[in-house]
Amino acid sequence: MIWMSWRQFRTQAIVGVGALAVLAAYLLQLGMRIRDSRDSYLGRCQPQGDCAQAMSQFVGEHQNTLLILAGLFGLLPGILGMFWGAPLVARELDAGTHRLVWNQSVSRRRWLLTRLLFVGLAGAAMTGLVSLLLTWAASPVDAVADDRFSTVVFGARNIAPIGYALFAVTVGTVVGLLVRRTLPAMALTILVFGVVQFGMPNLVRPYLMTPVDVTRPMTAEAINEARGLGSISSAAVVRGLTVPDAWVTRTSELRTTDGRALDADRFDDCLMRPPKTGATGTFGDAARCLGELDLHVDLSYQPNHRYWPFQWLESVIYLALSALLTVFGLWRIQRRVS
Amino acid sequence: MPVAVRPPKHGAMRTADSPAVLHAEHLTKRYGRRPALTDCDLTIPAGRLIGLVGPNGAGKSTLLQLACGLIAPTSGTLRVLGSRPASTPAHLARVGFVAQDTPVYASFTVADHLRMGARLNPSWDQALAERRIAQVGLHPGQRAGRLSGGQRAQLALTVAAAKRPELLILDEPAAALDPLARNGFLGNLREFVAELGASAVLSSHLLDDVERVCDHLVVLSGSRVQVAGDVPDLLAAHHRILAPRDELDRLPTGVEVIRAERADRHVRVLVRAAGGLPPIPWPVEPVRLEELVLGYLTRASESSAAGAAPSAGEVRR
Repeated sequence: MIWMSWRQFRTQAIVGVGALAVLAAYLLQLGMRIRDSRDSYLGRCQPQGDCAQAMSQFVGEHQNTLLILAGLFGLLPGILGMFWGAPLVARELDAGTHRLVWNQSVSRRRWLLTRLLFVGLAGAAMTGLVSLLLTWAASPVDAVADDRFSTVVFGARNIAPIGYALFAVTVGTVVGLLVRRTLPAMALTILVFGVVQFGMPNLVRPYLMTPVDVTRPMTAEAINEARGLGSISSAAVVRGLTVPDAWVTRTSELRTTDGRALDADRFDDCLMRPPKTGATGTFGDAARCLGELDLHVDLSYQPNHRYWPFQWLESVIYLALSALLTVFGLWRIQRRVS
Repeated sequence: MPVAVRPPKHGAMRTADSPAVLHAEHLTKRYGRRPALTDCDLTIPAGRLIGLVGPNGAGKSTLLQLACGLIAPTSGTLRVLGSRPASTPAHLARVGFVAQDTPVYASFTVADHLRMGARLNPSWDQALAERRIAQVGLHPGQRAGRLSGGQRAQLALTVAAAKRPELLILDEPAAALDPLARNGFLGNLREFVAELGASAVLSSHLLDDVERVCDHLVVLSGSRVQVAGDVPDLLAAHHRILAPRDELDRLPTGVEVIRAERADRHVRVLVRAAGGLPPIPWPVEPVRLEELVLGYLTRASESSAAGAAPSAGEVRR
């Protein structure tokens, strides 16, 4: 059955290895370039003793490239699910060859399990290798940028992508088994995978471990550290508050001392018609006006030292989902059929 | 309403020692509401080359796919070589199946198919497979996707046969072949099955094919088994009688009218007398197999046409 799995996977594997080789060469070259760039920044600033600004320039120079790479890498498991997972059973059903292979002396369950494991592990290996290279290439930037928990970056480093790949291939296989036609199965696979990949960082990941809650007084200085004030719904919110070495998962609206949300009219007054005092800072008079109201916000965050527990938790979740889907597929293939 | 004819079970006595290759009881398969096979009772003894005939849509493919476990029955039981179809790998090894339109892997070479067979079947007979491939003029390096319909059928048959099954099931194996290829395929098949020492079931909508190679016949029509039995027994049990009109009701008991055809003042009647025909005052002639099968098929189509009205009412409800 292993030979059979390999023989049927051969063409896809060759394409995959080819793509992997190109990608690996690029990532190695990128990693070297990033290291060279860091060294030249450090070489220029070290004589003066202060490298903070140079380092932020260094991050700025590479962050966009790395972000795009992380985004593209996020698609890889989906592509594997589409092109390796979905056709695994669906193409057999399309071509009618299941009637040939299911009548050899191998039970349908063993046939499915072997092929799924074979392709799933190949997908995991490929994704793992790319993840390893990308993590290595980006590590000088990641060390300075301190954004390892950000949605895109988290899913494109270390071990989490391996779980995604296993999951995507399993989804593809099971969808193919249910839909029974290759093209619709491919489309549905990328759709399902996309929905899960959207839901995971937004709806599940923030709650994988109990977040730390903190109340932060909103003085004028604190407000000036925010990225934005107010929202389209004209609620009294501050956006982009940060906690050092942590991922802020939730920010409450501005609250008064009695714990209630700040009245939208008073917020608007401060925002639109603050008393002119000539205050400086990002939000100037508005920040000063709000600061005098004795406000606070409640923040929830995940400290950065939880990064590895989160990587493992997420991997285990995707692994468990893959296992459940596999069990369903094995149950289904025995009863259903042409 | 169509009347299900319980097939005579003559094989039962002869093969009391070896289990039936196929034994169905009240076997029913529906696709949604459409019946594909209705309440079939069927026992096929071992050591035969069985022909399954019937018009398109009669349920032949359904019966064969049930037999190799590709689909599961809606109700009733089916035992193949004594156990549930495709229940274990060991059982899979005992049944070879060539599906309709003979699927093969287009990207595999002929040799790849043999290697697949060798890897997936413990009882694989590589020598037999190679001999047969050479015999039918296939080259190991050829891609299966480039083979002609006849070559593909030969390849599929080789893969099914080289695992040395006890029962070989062939679903319309000759359907895609031109007359010449069909001739060669069927001629070859008979020798080959004899060489294997297996039983084989072969379905076809062409009686010719089946008549040439089979020694046991199952006639399927309107999702029901119309008649089944060894060909010599069937021929011995059926007769054509030329009876005067209006005297048909004087037929002795034990003689069943299958089909009556008017001719002048007489009626040409196809009858079955399972226990031998009692003395009858009218001319009796033997029947040919084709006539016999057509008699049953005509009766089935007439009775289903008569039953069409009530069944339409059923669907509406």
